[in-house]
Amino acid sequence: MRRRTFIATAAATFAAPRVHGQATATRTLRIVPQANLTSLDPVWTTATITRTHSYLVYDTILGVDANFQVKPQLADGWQIEDDGRTYIFTLREGQRFHNGEPVLARDCVASIRRWWARDGFGQEVAKRHDSIEALDDRRFRIRLKRPFSHLLAALAKPNASPCFVMPESVASTSADQQITSWIGSGPYRFLRDEWVPGSRAAYARFEGYVPRREEPEWTSGAKRANAERMEWHIISDPATAGAALQSGEVDFWEIPLHDLLPVLRRNRNIIVENRDTIGTVGMLRLNHLHPPFDNPEIRRALLLAINQEDYLKAVVGDHPEMFNASYSYWTLGGPMHTEAGADALKVRSVERAKEALAKAGYRGERVVQLHASDFPTIAAQSLVTADLLRRLGMNLDFVAADWGTVVQRRASREPIERGGWNVFHTTWAGPDWMDPAAAVGMRTNGPNAWFGWPTSEKIEALREQWFDAPNLAEQKRIATAIQVEAFQVVPHVPLGHFLSPSAWRSNVTGVLRSPVVLFYNMGKSA
Amino acid sequence: MLAYVARRILSTIPVMLVVAFVVFSMLILSPGDPAAVIAGDQATPEDVERIRAALGLDRPFFVQFAEFLWRLLHFDLGTSIFTNLPVSHMIAQRIEPTVALMVFTIVLSVAIAVPLGVIAAWKAGSWIDRGVMIFAVFGFSVPVFVVGYLLAYIFALELDWLPVQGYTPIAQGFGPFVENLVLPSIALGSVYIALIARITRATMLEVLAQDYIRTAKAKGLGTRDVLFLHALKNAAVPISTVVGIGIALLIGGAVVTESVFAIPGLGRLTVDAILRRDYPVIQGVVLLFSFVYVLVNLLIDLLYTVFDPRIRY
Repeated sequence: MRRRTFIATAAATFAAPRVHGQATATRTLRIVPQANLTSLDPVWTTATITRTHSYLVYDTILGVDANFQVKPQLADGWQIEDDGRTYIFTLREGQRFHNGEPVLARDCVASIRRWWARDGFGQEVAKRHDSIEALDDRRFRIRLKRPFSHLLAALAKPNASPCFVMPESVASTSADQQITSWIGSGPYRFLRDEWVPGSRAAYARFEGYVPRREEPEWTSGAKRANAERMEWHIISDPATAGAALQSGEVDFWEIPLHDLLPVLRRNRNIIVENRDTIGTVGMLRLNHLHPPFDNPEIRRALLLAINQEDYLKAVVGDHPEMFNASYSYWTLGGPMHTEAGADALKVRSVERAKEALAKAGYRGERVVQLHASDFPTIAAQSLVTADLLRRLGMNLDFVAADWGTVVQRRASREPIERGGWNVFHTTWAGPDWMDPAAAVGMRTNGPNAWFGWPTSEKIEALREQWFDAPNLAEQKRIATAIQVEAFQVVPHVPLGHFLSPSAWRSNVTGVLRSPVVLFYNMGKSA
Repeated sequence: MLAYVARRILSTIPVMLVVAFVVFSMLILSPGDPAAVIAGDQATPEDVERIRAALGLDRPFFVQFAEFLWRLLHFDLGTSIFTNLPVSHMIAQRIEPTVALMVFTIVLSVAIAVPLGVIAAWKAGSWIDRGVMIFAVFGFSVPVFVVGYLLAYIFALELDWLPVQGYTPIAQGFGPFVENLVLPSIALGSVYIALIARITRATMLEVLAQDYIRTAKAKGLGTRDVLFLHALKNAAVPISTVVGIGIALLIGGAVVTESVFAIPGLGRLTVDAILRRDYPVIQGVVLLFSFVYVLVNLLIDLLYTVFDPRIRY
């Protein structure tokens, strides 16, 4: 072979796959999701990435729009009878699972049963239900022991663990065991054979899906599979993900590191926007079992020193348009939001907090703070608290570890001498604090409460009242009372909302704005 | 010879058993709980406990270890706690990129480092020698991820010659396969090149001072024949030892390199599993790496007989 022939052949070999790659690229949407997809069962785990996957593969009976209104999704509609004790749901015609089988009422019944075995809001429904049964192929009925105005909201909940519909044979799996079949009725089929956990997941458009006619809004309306194929590329290194987006090797990056946003914004082929309309909520959690935070006066003293802006700037930098202080336990912009009882959180004075600490009898007890160094947003807020506790003169024992270690150690109720803890940080999606039904961190039922184990019979009683409240005005009144009491009990310190924009190539279309991540509807122009 | 090889292979069994025990103990005794990770932030402590029980993580240490060994004896590495996939399947999915990366890196490194070391020794004290040594110090000192980011910035983002990240299996075309491996291999190989180049130089300096080299020169042999046929062959035993030892270095470096270049290999699988406390996956991968390391040492020992016929087993 002559040298020129060899060079030409070699060049063709290298070039050919790229040409092919370009042809398929316009039909394929390449996404860098926020985390590695490790589990495919949205009931078994509450991992956000599993929920994102599930919104592609499964459908829900109900959805919710931007005004927090419940809308039918798989359901065509519902009837309420017997003074609010009976709900009859009718399914839309023509809905099919990915294996071609029709979606039936009994699939919904089995899915609801599995969902309420694990989900907190679902458990409230289960507690109040009398019976649930399929009436025929398209209708199922839920009978309640007494009227429960939150039933629709529970079935429509968009966050944490939504009620996804699976075939009855799959949904009959115990909620404590992972499902082994991933057939849904959503707009995309999961391509099981292409799944490489930690690297890639792929989805193909489900041609049999019939979208609703309404425009998509949050989790309601049409779910259109505009991209023929969707690939998730798990890129754990933020700098690499940023470079891949800039070079056009991927099309959409769900949550870029805040530090990299200026670089991405400078690239005219990249759009950086807030896809999440509510944002992320920071939390400083306190352990109520051990000194010094077993003393409510010390917990209230800490509130006086908190400056939410410090925490929010630590995460997003000096960009006020990307954060909102929120002096409330309830989600900013949500129907329960109020600043009632939050005066202590607006003081922002280390000196006053020091005085209050002395008055409360703080004697220099060790404060063990668990610090997850591998989560940039959580770590940034945690460092602000460490600095604050030192400035308050507290005897800080700062324990840096990875998130896996923190989530194990935070479950320990032991005293700090035996591996216990006093303080840790985490973050939540905005909808997780929308109301008492969603906010598991607001439970104050002592040993059964979320980590930190706060106790307040008053809050628990108010919570029960909230579930039985007949209308929104009454719900709001009770939620306000809960908050006023919560600022006395201080189950944790709310640290405001920050936004985490997404970044995508300018030829990506149909990005949905919603507090939960929804990848359907997105497509790509040539 | 064959008896020696058989003995060495059999001796890997107790080594692997010790590795299995140490790995298992470290995982069980170290902090972290997969049940807490699975349960997520919404879960209550009771949920976490229920999941621990469902996974069998609440059973005594020796019960869990005995079950692990029993499975191992049946060549069953278990099932991932999170993905519900067999660990052997997950390893099979990931082994090609790692093997490709390591082989590519070793070939590239030896091809660059050995001539560099030989030339540095031959021109000892010259600017060439100093240049090679400066490069070696640079290779040792700069972390792999920094080299990786620099290479990606220059050759992928600025010049657009090569892709930033990813891996293309060789079955999908040799061109894309090589394109994806060039930058990671250079990044991963930087330490390795430095190590081999330094050892080659040091060994060659020793060999070049031997009487038989003077004799070879006196016979009128050319420089190339003296260096590569006489000197390098006699310096090959320590060099091959370093190449073998360096495999461990590469395994460690592969974890970082695979993260920086988003290569779906065993290194990233290990890191992901550790962060989630996916015990069966961690155990499976560490056992595999240990086995490979033992095997590589055996191969190096056998190579000695090729380079130095005086060595007999």
